[in-house]
Amino acid sequence: MAHTTLRAGGVAPDEIVVFGADADPAGPWRTRATAIRQTHMRSESDGHPFPRTFPGLAAREAARTLDPWPLLLSVADRYRPRVGVFLDAVDRARERSGWDDSLRVGRTFLVTTCHKGFRVDGDGPYRHVLLALGHPGLAWPDDRDARCVHAYEPHEYARKVAVVGAGMAAATEWRNARAAGAEVVSVRRREPVLRPLNLPRPLFTKRGLDEYRRGDRAAFLRAFSAPSYPRELHLDVPVAPAVPDDAEQVVCATGFLRGYAHDPLLARLVDEHALATVDGLLVLNDNATVPGLTDDTRTLAVSGVHAQWSFPAADTLSGMRWVAHRLLRRCRTR
Amino acid sequence: MSYTLRGRIETRLAAAALPLAAAVVWSAGAREWWPLEVAALMLGVGLVLDAGAYHRLLPYQPGWAAVPLGLLELGFVLWCTRALRIGAPYEPAVAFFFLAWLWAQVLGHAALPLARFEYAEDGGELGRGGAPLGVAVALVLIAAGGVAWFTRPPTVHLHGVVRGPLVLDHAQTLVGGVVTGGIVVTADDVTIRDVTVLGGDNGIEIREAQDVRLERVRVSGAREDAINARQSSVQIEDCVVDAPPGTQGIDVSFAMHHGMSMVEGCVVHGGDVGITMHTMMGDIRENVVVGARHHGIELTEMSMGKVERNEVRGTRGVGIYCGDHSVCEVERNRLVGGAGPGVLAFYYAGAELAHNVFVDTPPAAHSPDSTLTR
Repeated sequence: MAHTTLRAGGVAPDEIVVFGADADPAGPWRTRATAIRQTHMRSESDGHPFPRTFPGLAAREAARTLDPWPLLLSVADRYRPRVGVFLDAVDRARERSGWDDSLRVGRTFLVTTCHKGFRVDGDGPYRHVLLALGHPGLAWPDDRDARCVHAYEPHEYARKVAVVGAGMAAATEWRNARAAGAEVVSVRRREPVLRPLNLPRPLFTKRGLDEYRRGDRAAFLRAFSAPSYPRELHLDVPVAPAVPDDAEQVVCATGFLRGYAHDPLLARLVDEHALATVDGLLVLNDNATVPGLTDDTRTLAVSGVHAQWSFPAADTLSGMRWVAHRLLRRCRTR
Repeated sequence: MSYTLRGRIETRLAAAALPLAAAVVWSAGAREWWPLEVAALMLGVGLVLDAGAYHRLLPYQPGWAAVPLGLLELGFVLWCTRALRIGAPYEPAVAFFFLAWLWAQVLGHAALPLARFEYAEDGGELGRGGAPLGVAVALVLIAAGGVAWFTRPPTVHLHGVVRGPLVLDHAQTLVGGVVTGGIVVTADDVTIRDVTVLGGDNGIEIREAQDVRLERVRVSGAREDAINARQSSVQIEDCVVDAPPGTQGIDVSFAMHHGMSMVEGCVVHGGDVGITMHTMMGDIRENVVVGARHHGIELTEMSMGKVERNEVRGTRGVGIYCGDHSVCEVERNRLVGGAGPGVLAFYYAGAELAHNVFVDTPPAAHSPDSTLTR
């Protein structure tokens, strides 16, 4: 997202370097979506990797198929693109933006400051750096045993399956397991919230953001970390407070580890520069840059789930686009 | 989209810029103010709703909401057009509104998100472009308003009795006084308000003039018609007419291609015919017609129009006459003490009747070649 935005904003390809562990920008996501057999996105028409919201996936699909139905669904907020449509869009964005020309494949361990900006694993200097690190790892229940598989790892289904969790992945797994002929039990401590997106819609724009920033951000993010999924995914399945003893398989739809401390690169930055944190969250400026490491001459910005302090829906495609736009603004004023 | 208040206003202004520009060109080309007045009304109604209702009631506005909100705004604009007495023809005004609405959708959903990366996430705000846009739109409105103010027709106040006939051959507003010997109007955009006219061949005669308004005029003692309009578009409101035997009260005729005319809220006493329209498109509503010798109200010679909520009393002939290939909607009228049929469709005419009341008056009738639909 950041790469396509910078390119659309006029930054030349040779001015951008992407450090990535995978040549495919959607690689990890693709693996997880395949693992839970996800068919449709939770995001809507604007959940795509392009820098502008228009044309969205609905308009593109309608134009490609000459079928206005996706547009009509989108007007009614009922359009959920198929995973294939989204991944095709990622491939197109990758091709058009020259992603592969900017990419240096390899895992990044260290970002250090220097008088001209930052060095990334000794490479650089770079005046503007965006840390789009993704989720730090899968979250597992404390009482994990040999029956456990994670929803986001490839797996088949036993005859009696307990699904731990109550979010989007859990709702998908209830259906998957039942479709595979399994007897399904949902193991959850609290009832899921049924809502179309993972946050109320005003929080995706300045209107909701202004209110969010005036309040207690940590408390808000805690409150909205409750699992949720769209109403149309709901399935009535038996519920249990703990994993039944006779469950042959436990599918852990428990999401990802949360907090900067689980990411070695971020944890090191916080330690070395005594960066402010609250409740395991990195405290950022309102434009998703890191205070203390960003000034008139350089930018260290954060995207994805670690940018929630600035934008509560930062782990969505809209959130990544939001951060990318702020980064572009910083780069333009360089 | 979740608009901020500023975003709503800036998007509204951006969407209004092109229709305003088109209205300026239209008004200049057609030498009519209504396109600009309607464009300004559309913007005004939208801004009032944005600030007063939408912002509070719609923290998130789905795409489909543009349709009901558009209809709501259209209703307000039409109501304001009528309340402010803007002489906008209905169909072109609605078409103009629809095109402006369509343009706003294209702009809000496609053009602005393409032009500005952060448009959606900033709640519709236009960044640095917002303020200059607001200033530009305000300047257009102020400039147009200034031109309208300085070029508006002069207002002439009459005091006491003025000997006529008066000939009004340029746009003006004539207010007050008593005119003997009649008034002749030959210019467009003439308004006659609160004037009493005594005598004359025709009390008020209008010839080939458009957008003429007669408001609260009193006419009596004319030798032919109290009010007579030919090939003109006329709005007559709240008049009082006294027509001697052998004359007509109000006769508005032969202007089928000059848009709608209207006679509303008048009291017409006497005459052979109270109110008549020949070869016209017009509405006759909420009038009281008393003691006409021949027809109380008539639409004839291929006229099309609506006759509604009138009271016709003591007519010696037909109460409401729809004749000679005319098409008439006759609704909610009260016909009292008439000698002839309350309503008559005659000579290939068609009348649609609804909710009329006949008191001591023979029922509706039609000739064999005409139709009555109830």
